[in-house]
Amino acid sequence: MSGYRLPAGGRIDRAAPLDFTFDGRAHRGFAGDSLASALVASGQMLFGRSFKYHRPRGILGMGTEEPNALVTVDRGGEGPNCGQGWGRRTPNLRAPSVALYQGLAAQSQNRFPSLTFDLGAVNDRLGAFFPAGFYNKTFMWPRSAWEKLYEPAIRRMAGLGESPTTRDPDHYDATYAHCEVLVVGGGLAGIDAALEAAAGGGRVILIDEQDELGGGALADQALWGEVADKTMALRRPRNVTVLTRTTAFGYYHQNFVGAVEQLTDHLAPAQAQGARERLWRIRAGEVVLAQGAIERPLVFDGNDVPGVMLSSAGRVLAVRYGVAVGRAVAVMAVHDSGWRDALALKAAGVGIAAVIDLRTDVAPDLVSAARAAGIAVHLGHAVTGVSGRHGVSGITFAANGTGHAQQLAADALLMAGGWTPTVHLWSHAKGSLRWDDAWGAYLPDKAQENCRAVGAGAGAWDLGAGLALGTLPGPKPIWQTKAFVDFQNDVKARDIDLAVREGMRSIEHIKRYTTNGMATDQGKTSNLNGLQIASGSLSRPVTDIGLTTFRPPYTPQTFGALMGHHKDALFQPIRKTVIDGWADDHSAVFENVAQWRRARYFPQGGEDMHAAVARECLAVRERVGMFDASTLGKIEVVGPDAAEFLNRMYTNPWKALAPGRCRYGLLLREDGFITDDGVSARLAPDRFHLTTTTGGAARVLAMMEDYLQTEWSDLDVWLTSTTEQWAVIAVQGPLAREVIAPLVEGIDLSREAFPHMAIREGTICGVPTRLFRVSFTGELGFEVNVPAQHGRMVWEAIHAAGQAHGIVPYGTETMHVLRAEKGYVIVGQDTDGTLTPDDAGMAWAVGTKKPDFVGKRSLARPDMTAPGRKQLVGLLTVDPQEVLEEGAQIVADPDQPVPMTMLGHVTSSYHSAALGRSIAMAVIADGRARDGQVIHVPMPGRSIRARVVASTVFYDQEGSRLDV
Amino acid sequence: MSEAIAIPALAVAGTDLALETHAVTGTGVTLVLEEPASRWSLRARSADALAAVIGRGVPARIGDTLDGVACLGPDEWLADLPAGTVLPDGAGLPVSVVDVSSRGVVIRLEGAGAVHTLASGCPLDLERFAVGRATRTVFETVEVIVWREAADRFRVFVWRSFAPWLWHALKAVERG
Repeated sequence: MSGYRLPAGGRIDRAAPLDFTFDGRAHRGFAGDSLASALVASGQMLFGRSFKYHRPRGILGMGTEEPNALVTVDRGGEGPNCGQGWGRRTPNLRAPSVALYQGLAAQSQNRFPSLTFDLGAVNDRLGAFFPAGFYNKTFMWPRSAWEKLYEPAIRRMAGLGESPTTRDPDHYDATYAHCEVLVVGGGLAGIDAALEAAAGGGRVILIDEQDELGGGALADQALWGEVADKTMALRRPRNVTVLTRTTAFGYYHQNFVGAVEQLTDHLAPAQAQGARERLWRIRAGEVVLAQGAIERPLVFDGNDVPGVMLSSAGRVLAVRYGVAVGRAVAVMAVHDSGWRDALALKAAGVGIAAVIDLRTDVAPDLVSAARAAGIAVHLGHAVTGVSGRHGVSGITFAANGTGHAQQLAADALLMAGGWTPTVHLWSHAKGSLRWDDAWGAYLPDKAQENCRAVGAGAGAWDLGAGLALGTLPGPKPIWQTKAFVDFQNDVKARDIDLAVREGMRSIEHIKRYTTNGMATDQGKTSNLNGLQIASGSLSRPVTDIGLTTFRPPYTPQTFGALMGHHKDALFQPIRKTVIDGWADDHSAVFENVAQWRRARYFPQGGEDMHAAVARECLAVRERVGMFDASTLGKIEVVGPDAAEFLNRMYTNPWKALAPGRCRYGLLLREDGFITDDGVSARLAPDRFHLTTTTGGAARVLAMMEDYLQTEWSDLDVWLTSTTEQWAVIAVQGPLAREVIAPLVEGIDLSREAFPHMAIREGTICGVPTRLFRVSFTGELGFEVNVPAQHGRMVWEAIHAAGQAHGIVPYGTETMHVLRAEKGYVIVGQDTDGTLTPDDAGMAWAVGTKKPDFVGKRSLARPDMTAPGRKQLVGLLTVDPQEVLEEGAQIVADPDQPVPMTMLGHVTSSYHSAALGRSIAMAVIADGRARDGQVIHVPMPGRSIRARVVASTVFYDQEGSRLDV
Repeated sequence: MSEAIAIPALAVAGTDLALETHAVTGTGVTLVLEEPASRWSLRARSADALAAVIGRGVPARIGDTLDGVACLGPDEWLADLPAGTVLPDGAGLPVSVVDVSSRGVVIRLEGAGAVHTLASGCPLDLERFAVGRATRTVFETVEVIVWREAADRFRVFVWRSFAPWLWHALKAVERG
């Protein structure tokens, strides 16, 4: 236990202590601490267990690059929604990024039973059996063991934190924002860019992921004054918005940047008010990236012992948080910044055991300053080993790594491996990169968007000079070392070497084989070291090997933030008709159809669905029923070329349709397959009222607009969506006319004056109506279209008028059964986008004399008329009370070996009250030729026999019930 | 591992959302559900052709509004007129005049936070959206028409069935 709180220093508020727990043990920190700094100050060096080997791990970095210290924070379930099932447990948070608050409760992860004693560490002992890619070569025998043994075991062992099992009581905000300049990164380079942009007068947004601006300067006391002054200066102009605790997670096309602002996670739950996080969707005129640079670890045997960390982490802890990582801190450097960090730590009161640098020629001023500070110096040496398992107890080093081994007592080891400019967002926006030997890293080169990089993130910052290495030189060959490259995914240097030996040449393959850089830190501390090691193993320059792609999010983001307002009641709009409220008041059971909710059936008493549907169906056939059909898509087609347009879109002929008449239209795609249908009415020579399926309304309108705008812009015809303009009440049954007659004015409803498939305009209940005589049930039927604002009133009036005739409201389930009894197809249920009109038994709907229509050419393809195509037919089960399952497969011989030859499937299936038996429709290869044959429907444990009927009309085959 | 998790029911579900007539949002902005009016979707190849049919001035530039008529596209206008107004139907002429008075509702936002409230879900640069301008756009996934009447007054046209969701989404926006 090496860390402790320094008596003075840091930006924490020593007058504001905070109590918190880690793995159930009490600790104390201060306002301004992160969870990581407070725990290190408390002497805690062990933070977690690694992913694969369960090795004990501590902090590696004090920024968002931290790969090891992943913790779960539980903010409890208090709030307006409390009690069982509500909670705020967030796994996989990086401890340096967790702001400390009073009462914070954090847990380490991936260990059982405890952090100090973890049974999973057996993986480490057996590490030789778990090299990179081991799962590609194991768990294969015996095959039967996979399902019962291997997979459950792997599932239990895989992953880091545990998924939440409670409902999230918090809510989240979201917004769009526009600015002339967006600056990402609030270090000094970003602050300067924001001040400069503000002077230009446009809107400026500056975002930074930390809780205060300053970036790297927060760990350099000499710069605190400048940070304070400039932060104040940013508050003065009215055109500057500064967002802290905000992470730009992705940079998308045309300067669109996504960011998440944390609003309350730094507060104790009792103090948290309002939204927890806010999603920012920012469109910027110019983006300035000031993301800084991240220090590289060094790769050597023992580099993952808790207490071994980045040199910058040691510095941030000492200068920003007033925490010493140890009393005898050693520094292993290949870069000047390690020396500056050692001097800064010494000045802050931290004991430095030695600075070891692989280079023999280090800047003389650094060496003399170190010596003057009483720090032992070893040039031309490298660390070759670290003693200790839960903490550092000593290090071994040697001249050039291979010389005589020397011991040094130390309780912490800092690594200064050089700096990697952060080019993630630059790369999201497809900016190109160029290799820089001095940095030993890729720098931004040419931008694709209106974007520029500044500061260390552009390679425009003086951090000093250094070497770019793969591994530190050492006495053992690479395959005998435990030198870590990717700490989060437990990838060692020897794994990369193994990948090369197994034939991987490109970094894309090496990355995927070893999983280097594929953890949630996306390789922030491992990408470049991995490249250097691969370069060494391949004996090719780094620039030849490639660089993997950076993808959003820059750091993991919560689902809540990305959903914004789309949560709970606002998850998505649920569309309801104007009649829905009446259905709700009358105990309707609802179902979702596209974005709508529709009444499915109206149970009475203790009816189940089967009983309710049977009652509703019989009522419609014997008397009259009423159905809310308002969700159907409607399009008003208007203009002198309206008929010509419809003639080109649908398969049917339209030009000769007289005003006042209706026609059933079939719509195909260019490939000849059915995509939608509907009954449409001609109101005038140049005006049609089209209908579509509920789910197809938007799609059909878009398809029609596409043709009008891109193919036939010469036609004088326009389309207007009127789906929500009209409420539609279907009144169906032999008594339908009697029910509506007293309510209707201005329309002769008699059979002679108002034939089937006609439309009349008049009034009903005093409001205008387009009255259709159409039937989706096979009974006498009307569809009453009224402006939606009157829909409920007219529905209630028809319901009242219908009482004397025993009218019954029915829902979508009954509607499905009644139409199936008549063999009417439902596009999207009986069709699946691969049926032609002839397949569906609707060749009659294709106008043979029409010169052209959408899909006509495709229907002539030989494949479209070849034998063996699936055709829509009826099925009558041999046992009449057996109801087939929709989607069930159909075979000719149920005893054939598996895999069986499947002939088709059941598309619609119901019990028909009118017929007293089950009915079904199915698509079957050569279905019509199988008329009378018995086919088989295999189900679990049994097979059902059914007879094919070529006709899908089960009830009233002559259609006489319509002609009344 | 695969035992069922008991997720508690919501106090308010999506199906419970109902349209109100007045409300104040989290940003202090007033929401008003406007009374029904006379609304028409108008199409023609030119503003002049349309004006000749309906006998009213029609703005020619996309985004402009004039006396209750907004130009939404190269051949599309929306007329928002006092309740009961009837327009000629242009029968036989190359125009389309369709009554959409019942198709949607209008939610009015009034107050200093109106821009911020709408910007929560609308991707347009609303600070730069001129007074007197109207356009079709989206609020999150819901299609709307935004019509700016004053610096702090916007009218949002939305189809009937999306209105309850939109109303409550606007109410939920918090201060920045």
